[in-house]
Amino acid sequence: MAFVNYLLKRFGFMLVTLFLVTLITFGLTKILPGNVALLILGPNATEASIAQLEAQLGLDQPLYVQYVDWVAGLLSGDMGMSLRYNVPVFDLIALRLPRSLLLAVTATIISVTLSIPLGIIAAVRKNTPADLTASMLAFIGLSLPIFLWGLVFIYVFALTLGGFPTRGYVSPMVDPIASIHHLILPASAMGVALTAYIMRMTRSSMIDELSEDYVEFARSKGLSERAVVLRHALKNAAIPVITVVAFQFSYAFGGVVVLEEVFSWPGIGRLTLTAIENRDIPLLQGSIIVIALIYMLSNFLADTFYAYVDPRIRYGGSE
Amino acid sequence: MSTNRFQLTEERKAHYGRFIRQFRNNQKAVIGLGIIVVLFFVAIFAQKIVVPYIDVTIQPFSLVPHDPEATNVQNREQAPSMEYLMGTDNLGRDIFSRVLAGARISVLVGFTSISIAMIFGTTIGIVAGYYQGLVDEGLMRAMDAMMSFPPILLALTIVAVMEPNLVNLILALAFVYTPFIARVARSAALSVRNESFVEAAVARGESDTYIIFREVLPNCVGPLLVQGSINIAFTMLLEASLSFLGLGVQPPTSSWGLMINQGWAFMGDAPWLVFFPALAIATAVIGFNLLGDGLRDVLDPKGEIIE
Repeated sequence: MAFVNYLLKRFGFMLVTLFLVTLITFGLTKILPGNVALLILGPNATEASIAQLEAQLGLDQPLYVQYVDWVAGLLSGDMGMSLRYNVPVFDLIALRLPRSLLLAVTATIISVTLSIPLGIIAAVRKNTPADLTASMLAFIGLSLPIFLWGLVFIYVFALTLGGFPTRGYVSPMVDPIASIHHLILPASAMGVALTAYIMRMTRSSMIDELSEDYVEFARSKGLSERAVVLRHALKNAAIPVITVVAFQFSYAFGGVVVLEEVFSWPGIGRLTLTAIENRDIPLLQGSIIVIALIYMLSNFLADTFYAYVDPRIRYGGSE
Repeated sequence: MSTNRFQLTEERKAHYGRFIRQFRNNQKAVIGLGIIVVLFFVAIFAQKIVVPYIDVTIQPFSLVPHDPEATNVQNREQAPSMEYLMGTDNLGRDIFSRVLAGARISVLVGFTSISIAMIFGTTIGIVAGYYQGLVDEGLMRAMDAMMSFPPILLALTIVAVMEPNLVNLILALAFVYTPFIARVARSAALSVRNESFVEAAVARGESDTYIIFREVLPNCVGPLLVQGSINIAFTMLLEASLSFLGLGVQPPTSSWGLMINQGWAFMGDAPWLVFFPALAIATAVIGFNLLGDGLRDVLDPKGEIIE
């Protein structure tokens, strides 16, 4: 079973990478200046109480012991206590993560519904004014930072046209309508930002497929152009596009860090920024590792899916 | 063939000429390069350059019509006019002058960080691709780990833990983009590793250093140029995002991202505070994206390019 072997190998790679990711996260957050015990106790703390707290938090241990403790904690779901909020980091992340996922998933859905039809139309009408306009817009879309899309949407739909809140989050459990109302702007801003890339990918893989022999054959059978495009070419063009969608989800998830700041969306991205502002090391470590884990997993799934549908990847050797 | 150096240079010359011709015929590449040239011109001549400590002026011209840092509260939030082409901001500073001055930061950050990433990334990638085996595994797993963080998250964490300033920003972005370059260099190196000219060099008993620098590296230039150009565009986007979050260059230096950070609270009444720096970011990024796309058409690099 070549595919099972491939999967096991990739999975093994991912575990090694995951180990390195924990090392980088731990190492980076340890550089952060500021004495944690002093931060907790305030400037009037005595040296004895600082030393006592450090011993209690394990900060007097050698770095590798602290690292091992931290990883052991991670594996059992214990990420320590947040210094700023004084509650377990795990609880904070468990509350904020679903909100970020909601934003990233909605954005991905919006961008897929926009970009795939656009990409197909551009490919079918290759080099017509419609295609050139769409391609040019996509190119401009690729060249704007995500936060700017957020500002454009706030300016146009909230400040100028009105009717949408510029900031905040409402839980769908509390008030589903208000929740969607708050979700629309940030999710569309990110969705549009992602559209450019998926549209370009759909267009170029559709163009490749439309020049294949089997498409010519389907046409010569007398099938309508619509049937040729939708039933034959799209099926094969979908492979690279689905991979890109998975990659784009991970990209969206990275983008939430900035976009959440623009829309005051209380997700894991803002949590990370708060952790940085407050020198809250346990919280920073926890949020970074969780974001990296989700980012890695969606990339892993994209790779795996690609290899599953396209066996050439598995034998290619160079990942 | 390698015994006849003359023939080789002729061949290189022809190759070079073909590249120039194709480049000139590629609209995207030419427009991209045009934008970049203007951007450089603005970055260099926007303001005087005075070497600190010794007080020597090495660039005596300035394109800016007003002092980009001079505040004038009576003049705040003026709409664009002949006097203030892009209006004034909430402190009465001339936005046109600040946009011109901001080009310097964008170009400086984009170029230096990608140059550093190119040096480290190319070395790591070519060594991994050339030696293969355990060296390759070790290096590439480390690169994978660096790429397992969303670029923005990695960059902002590094900047935040080291203290946000220009130098740390450049170093953080160089760190973030090194694995992108390394992967491209590795796959290019892999594709030439088994070519006959490399095997011939091994058979001649050339040293590894000679083979890496004289045989493998020149054949990786194409993909690296394409990746480098695209990554400069990325870096500029990332610099804007970090500055927007307040984790990039610090005031009073003007950077496009920072201008948007300071201006977006006033966006409702004075959209020009955000519009013009945003336009500048988009233009610069489009320039490098166009050049990257054009170079890709012209050079048709083997191996992967990571977007």
